[in-house]
Amino acid sequence: MKLNVINISDKINIRWLATPVIILASAFVTNAIIMLLCNYNPLEAYQAAVSGAFGNGRKFGETLVKSTPFLITGLSVAMAFRCGIWNIGAEGQFLVGALTATWFGTKLAPIFPQSPWVAVPLCLGFATLAGGIWGLIPAILKVARGVNEVISTIMLNYVALHLVSMMIDGGPLQETAQRGPQSDRIVEWVFLPRILPPHRIHLGIIIAVVFAIILTFVLFRTAFGYQLRAVGEGAAAAEAAGISIVHNTLRVFFISGALAGLGGAIELTALTRRLFLNFSPGYGYTAIAVALLAKLNPLVTVAAALLFGALTTGSYSMQREVGISDKVTLVMQATILLFVIGYSSVQLFRKRASSHS
Amino acid sequence: MIESILELRNVTKTFGDFVAVDSVDFELQAGEIHAILGENGAGKSTLMNLIYGLYQPTAGRIYVTDRENWRYRLRAKSPRDSIASGIGMVHQHFMLIENLTVAENIALSIGQLRTGVAKSVSENGAYKEWLRKFLFKKEDAIHITEALSERFGLAVDPSALVRSLSVGLKQRVEILKALAVDARILILDEPTAVLSPQEVEGFFTILRKLQADGRAIIFISHKMKEVLDISDRITVLRRGKKVYLGKTGELTARELAREMIGEDINEVERSNRTDVEIESSDSVLQLSNLTVLGDRNEIAVADVSMETYGGEIVGIAGVDGNGQRELAEAIMGLRHAPYGSVSILGANPKGIKAVRQRGVGYIPEDRQTTGVIAEFSITENLLLNVTHLDNLTQWNILNQKKKRETAAQLITDYDIRPPVADTPASSLSGGNQQKIVIAREISLHPDLLVAVNPTRGLDVNAARYVHENLLAQRDQKKSVLLISTELDEVLLLSDRLYVMSRGKLIEATAQRNDIEALGMLMTGETHRDIRDSLES
Repeated sequence: MKLNVINISDKINIRWLATPVIILASAFVTNAIIMLLCNYNPLEAYQAAVSGAFGNGRKFGETLVKSTPFLITGLSVAMAFRCGIWNIGAEGQFLVGALTATWFGTKLAPIFPQSPWVAVPLCLGFATLAGGIWGLIPAILKVARGVNEVISTIMLNYVALHLVSMMIDGGPLQETAQRGPQSDRIVEWVFLPRILPPHRIHLGIIIAVVFAIILTFVLFRTAFGYQLRAVGEGAAAAEAAGISIVHNTLRVFFISGALAGLGGAIELTALTRRLFLNFSPGYGYTAIAVALLAKLNPLVTVAAALLFGALTTGSYSMQREVGISDKVTLVMQATILLFVIGYSSVQLFRKRASSHS
Repeated sequence: MIESILELRNVTKTFGDFVAVDSVDFELQAGEIHAILGENGAGKSTLMNLIYGLYQPTAGRIYVTDRENWRYRLRAKSPRDSIASGIGMVHQHFMLIENLTVAENIALSIGQLRTGVAKSVSENGAYKEWLRKFLFKKEDAIHITEALSERFGLAVDPSALVRSLSVGLKQRVEILKALAVDARILILDEPTAVLSPQEVEGFFTILRKLQADGRAIIFISHKMKEVLDISDRITVLRRGKKVYLGKTGELTARELAREMIGEDINEVERSNRTDVEIESSDSVLQLSNLTVLGDRNEIAVADVSMETYGGEIVGIAGVDGNGQRELAEAIMGLRHAPYGSVSILGANPKGIKAVRQRGVGYIPEDRQTTGVIAEFSITENLLLNVTHLDNLTQWNILNQKKKRETAAQLITDYDIRPPVADTPASSLSGGNQQKIVIAREISLHPDLLVAVNPTRGLDVNAARYVHENLLAQRDQKKSVLLISTELDEVLLLSDRLYVMSRGKLIEATAQRNDIEALGMLMTGETHRDIRDSLES
């Protein structure tokens, strides 16, 4: 069956795909030069990376696991940007989601029936709601006081970061043993089920992909999504049509925040199962690159997230098998980010500038 | 003999099939203020843009005499070339950077162009150093601004932020910017449109000073009285052609109005016109003592009362910027009206959504930002009205089949080109974008349709099609409020006629056959003035 859902949202053809391909090709070439300068064989390294990410079922599964947080935060960003809201706050919303899941999993779940059928949906639901509410803070500031969301969401990321450290470093959510700045492990019946134990592939991957499909449907096939996009692409025209700018702005922020919050809860309940400092290695920021590489298309975000997952597992394997230092792999990841963000945002802004002139 | 410093010979500019400027001759003498009069779309702005280098003429030549008294043919590829030849333009919408100071704005205009500066502020040597080093020194910029300001008697605080200045002062900065690069020909595009009467007086003093300094000024305006006050000579354009050139005072205001509007206007064929009697006594739209504020909190619409009924087209004529946009926005609930009320079909809907849900169609003035969404496809733009959206959704899900069918139908009916539903609106011509708006708003047959300049930018056939649709609305006993700067259009379609001028609405149905009187009303004269002038 042809995926004609894609056709209604963006015309995906060779030209459309050219940008991501150019971005990645230039990033890989640049990285090859960096490796040559550091006396590594780039071909050997890339080979190790590919086999590390896709070499066998287990490795590919691990790539999927690493892709999940990129996907769900990437959807959060793609959705917001698509609707004209420059939400840079996915990182904070992700953390607030994880924090809420921790609170639920350590404090509230013990008094609930010990059934994952009840506890898991409740936990994810709470975290999603918390992420959405966290997302509403910059929305209200924007609607009521005209505060630019780029600034307020970045600042709220730091608030969220410090909120986490306040709660787990001497705060009410710190582990009972009080050894370090981390929470207790959440109770077992809040664990997000793993699909093929002992492998780490978990239900969150499926949830994230389902949300990519739902989001595409909502944005491109419903009146609700149409109005969200209309306000994003042309506020004055949408308003003249009778579409409320205020309501739709609030909706975008809430949904975007909720998705990122869900992402935090999935990561926590499926993998780490406890909250600690540096819980997120910047998923919410990398999400911007993921979304831009996917040209803000929710379905293409699945592919972009998979690529970023593969970059993560691939770089581990480059370290292990070719002995490339982790500093160099970090530089390489940063190079890719720079190419993605640089190229995509130039394109995005040029497109917007030309349509507004 | 007075030398001419700018001369246009047979200049023509076409856009596609449309002739915006039709073999126009124009000549500007040093030290004169030359007014250009004309209706909207008469070609004034196009002509100025040709001189300023924003457009290049399709045919004809432009000659300019530069600072060294060399006369040569100007082939400006961009304003940069025109500026280098000593031509400066003050646009109607200021081109200032609001968050920079006055001095910084002026420094920017100098920095862009390294020639010509030397003569402009040669008494201040600081600039040379600064340009050579490519370094920006605040003090130098302030010195230059002060020097300019003193030399031309245009007092302004060099270190004030532009955004803190009044409109009159911003305009002064714009003029200083042009003078900073030693413009000897100043084009002022509707400079008084944004000024209060007091500011206008001060502005005229400035113009006379510049004139005494030997600079030539092209003054574009709609306002007859100001033109007669300030100019030395007047050129009148009508539909791209020069129809009159003469010394100010040769013709009276009434005669000039006739030149502007043309006499052929009464002969416009009133096809399709059936006399419809207004049966119902219930008004569709009722405005009572409506007062609306403009973007700068000025009173844009002053104490307007009127009613429209089903089965009639009520026309509001007038020159751009006299409160028509604000009036339309207040009716649609897009703009707050501090005093008075808007009543639609007996109710007082608050806000645009409520107004829309009462079945009011709206063809906004600015289709680029308010009419269509550039990034959206034709289909998506055809949905951009909550009523359409409601018709095509079930459980909030858009019915794809119905959506495609509706779009295809409207594209055919309204001849939108290219007839490809997925085409983004941004790649359509202005006329076809307008057809999207018309199709979307008229096809629902709203009880009340508010149409602002519905045929602006359309070719003759498309405009006729729109007119037929507006008349069809009326024949279906719907009410249409037509606000247009095209007098022909208003006269052709309206059953009742108003003129809007400086925020006031003047009933003018009785004057519909008296073009001169209408012209006077539009240029801001009241009935009393007309009566007086008729008697004298």
